[in-house]
Amino acid sequence: MSVEEEENAAELKIGDEFLKAKCLMNCEVSLILDKKYEQLQNMSDDPMSQTSQVFEKSLQYVKRFSRYKNAETVKQVREVLSRNRLAEFELCVLGNLCPETVEEAIAMVPTIKSKGRFQDDDAIDKMLRDLSMIKKFE
Amino acid sequence: MFFHMVLERNMQLHPRYFGPHLHEKLTSKLVKDVEGTCGGKHGFVVAVTKVESIGKGLIREGTGFVTFPVKYQCVVFRPFRGEVLEAVVTLVNKMGFFAEAGPVNIFVSNHLIPDDMEFQSGDIPNYTTSDGSVKIQKDSEVRLKIIGVRVDAAEIFCIGTIKDDFLGVINDPDAAS
Repeated sequence: MSVEEEENAAELKIGDEFLKAKCLMNCEVSLILDKKYEQLQNMSDDPMSQTSQVFEKSLQYVKRFSRYKNAETVKQVREVLSRNRLAEFELCVLGNLCPETVEEAIAMVPTIKSKGRFQDDDAIDKMLRDLSMIKKFE
Repeated sequence: MFFHMVLERNMQLHPRYFGPHLHEKLTSKLVKDVEGTCGGKHGFVVAVTKVESIGKGLIREGTGFVTFPVKYQCVVFRPFRGEVLEAVVTLVNKMGFFAEAGPVNIFVSNHLIPDDMEFQSGDIPNYTTSDGSVKIQKDSEVRLKIIGVRVDAAEIFCIGTIKDDFLGVINDPDAAS
């Protein structure tokens, strides 16, 4: 119980296991689940019976809330965000929510301001502009 | 948040399967056992992506079943307190509204909805601002922050807020014409 009380994503306190794990943005999960669904379709006539409600709900959710649609762009997004020294969790929240201003980005991921990874707000702004550029040319 | 993790599980197999298709049987049993379940530590297991390794089996005394330690990669969904994410509204009432983010349900109490939004009952219950410019109803997309996570035996339930800056109904500029 106390472990859950100490958890706070706003301070990146999510436990060692999750800090070290690979986070996935909604658009990445969408590609993975699509592939899995395809495999199921090839193997059986009724793929719907093979999937759990959790799978169906997750698939619907990531399809609805993916900002980027094709595999190339998704890779680009990860590349752009990885240029900054972000934790996996921070990277994915930014990739999912695509904040437009520095103020918004800090509200969504408060930890990008701490630990001195960005020299100043301009550096954060540049990252956000690079991100929105990808969307424009998708 | 979705994560890609490596988990381990001990799988028991009846001797009738000890033949050329042992590994396939173990894999399909793993998928059936684990996909769609929810554990307190790792959240919901959405999909198994790969079986990394199957260790040496250990015969259990008395039964003849064999236990295999299986390491597998999977996609999990685990919400965290303090996390900001987007969700779909599923139910609106005067206590607040329920929203769904993937397999997880989140409740936002009316205390954590901005004061300038009021509950309107009727055919389509909703929360609306006094000037009618912003409305939250079933199927609305909202951005919320999780402020509490409770883990039950097989389910995770969250409470959230939309009262902070940059939270609330999502206006999709692409949809606006």
